[in-house]
Amino acid sequence: MLKLNNVEVTYLNVIRVLHGVSLSVPDGAIVALLGANGAGKSTTLKAISGLLRIEEGQVTDGSIEWDGERIDKKGAEAVGKMGIVQALEGRRVFEHLQTEENLMVGAFNRHDNYIKQDLEMVYEYFPRLKALRRNIAGYLSGGEQQMLVIGRAMMAKPNLMMLDEPSLGLAPLMVEEIYSIIKRFNTDQKTSVLLVEQNVRVALSIATNGYVMENGRVVLDGTADFLSNNEDVKEFYMGLSAMGTKKSYREVKHYKRRKRWL
Amino acid sequence: MDQLLQLTISGLAVGMVYALIGLGFVLIWKSSSVANLALGQIVLLSSWFTYGMLVQLNLPTLLGFLLVIIFALALGWVIERIALRPLIGQPILSLIAVTLGVGYFFEGLVTFVWPANSAALPRIFPTKPVQVGSAVISQEYIWIAGISLVIFLLLTAFFRYHRLGVAMRASADDQMAVQACGIPVTKVFSMSWMFSCTVAAVGGVLLSSIGMIAHGLVATGLKSFSVVILGGMDSFGGAMIAGPIIGLAESIGGGYLSAYVSGVTDIIPFVIIIIVMMIKPYGLFGETRIERI
Repeated sequence: MLKLNNVEVTYLNVIRVLHGVSLSVPDGAIVALLGANGAGKSTTLKAISGLLRIEEGQVTDGSIEWDGERIDKKGAEAVGKMGIVQALEGRRVFEHLQTEENLMVGAFNRHDNYIKQDLEMVYEYFPRLKALRRNIAGYLSGGEQQMLVIGRAMMAKPNLMMLDEPSLGLAPLMVEEIYSIIKRFNTDQKTSVLLVEQNVRVALSIATNGYVMENGRVVLDGTADFLSNNEDVKEFYMGLSAMGTKKSYREVKHYKRRKRWL
Repeated sequence: MDQLLQLTISGLAVGMVYALIGLGFVLIWKSSSVANLALGQIVLLSSWFTYGMLVQLNLPTLLGFLLVIIFALALGWVIERIALRPLIGQPILSLIAVTLGVGYFFEGLVTFVWPANSAALPRIFPTKPVQVGSAVISQEYIWIAGISLVIFLLLTAFFRYHRLGVAMRASADDQMAVQACGIPVTKVFSMSWMFSCTVAAVGGVLLSSIGMIAHGLVATGLKSFSVVILGGMDSFGGAMIAGPIIGLAESIGGGYLSAYVSGVTDIIPFVIIIIVMMIKPYGLFGETRIERI
């Protein structure tokens, strides 16, 4: 179980981007972290995975705990060894490596005998990757690269898999496909998933619960059902009006209505 | 005719050693995109160190070599730890400038510890001449070519199949994503420097075993630079093919032309660089930057 308690993150010792974020990811759950650009979603993930340090950021207050153990002072390597793995935003494959080599890099820290077996498992989830196993990853299509990045995270046999916008720049059908695979992986392997997403509808379709972030704070949280029926979430993140119909431009005021959360 | 054959064989063999030293360049370039400009000085330093072990301390050859390898590994570790690690994340140009500084430091260190201009290593390989076709050549050339080839094959296999080798290639592509996979990038960098210094040291020993230890060894670092530019900065195989090409051009061109144009031997590799850069800027076998359209 992952627990964030009043986490504050500061970049370069002056720019505070998270102002006390608290959230928890129960074992085996899929938790969605929603919000507009610049809300601090990716920063939250990097604070957990320890990648913050590379970007000159640090957790200045609060605590991050994994199964009761503090991890906010640990580096990326130590956090990775605890089975927390992050798939970065924007399909960061190793371009000059083959598909299968990319997957094997994901299993770098493992020394058990089931790596081959898990490779087959990933190929079962993503049959397309198996066909492309000897291809150079840089030449795969966007959807295939996203599959590869998720598959690479799966190869670490994680306890917690953090995905940063897996739907970014993909066709709707591809998004559906990838999300159904994430759901299936979560059900089969009991791996917890922390999901950062702009595509609120698809994220809430598989999540058990979610958090809405704005300006470095959590402004709303609850179960996926609660969130997807919340009027504000509907209006501001799904573009639906109170009636559940598509909003018409005729009703849009000439000034921009903006929800103040706090 | 005999002269041509002789020049060909010695050129090929010396070219293989250039290629080996070039691998030291490729290793670091492949894992961290840093150009190691201290390579020539590392060759020089480790050759003198070998001299210190084998001649000054008069150690048995095998023990001496073992110490040289350990020295080279330690050297790589120290360079990475002290000079480069503090600069991780800084612009790549500062990293390259630091390697240049490290190089000059070593050059100064060598003149300080071994003030002599030149020295000779004891003959390591059997010198009995062998007959190849109509030419008679020293057996040493075959030995150094063989050793270079074996090291090349080992390194290639390592980068292709070993998990650390694959991780090293991956970190050349995306250092942040590699850390997201839980791979210690600092370890990858220090490994690549240790390997690089070791192949440079072996190359230095091979070269000075058939010639002399002299300041000119620094220039072989530059020649290896031309080898990797010709072969492609990130290609082991490319270096292994380009090395003999440069070696041949140097020995045949030098052998026939230096009677008319003195000093032409040293110019030839650089002329080749300029021509290659104009026609194939990624080198013969270099990875082109992947751009999907």
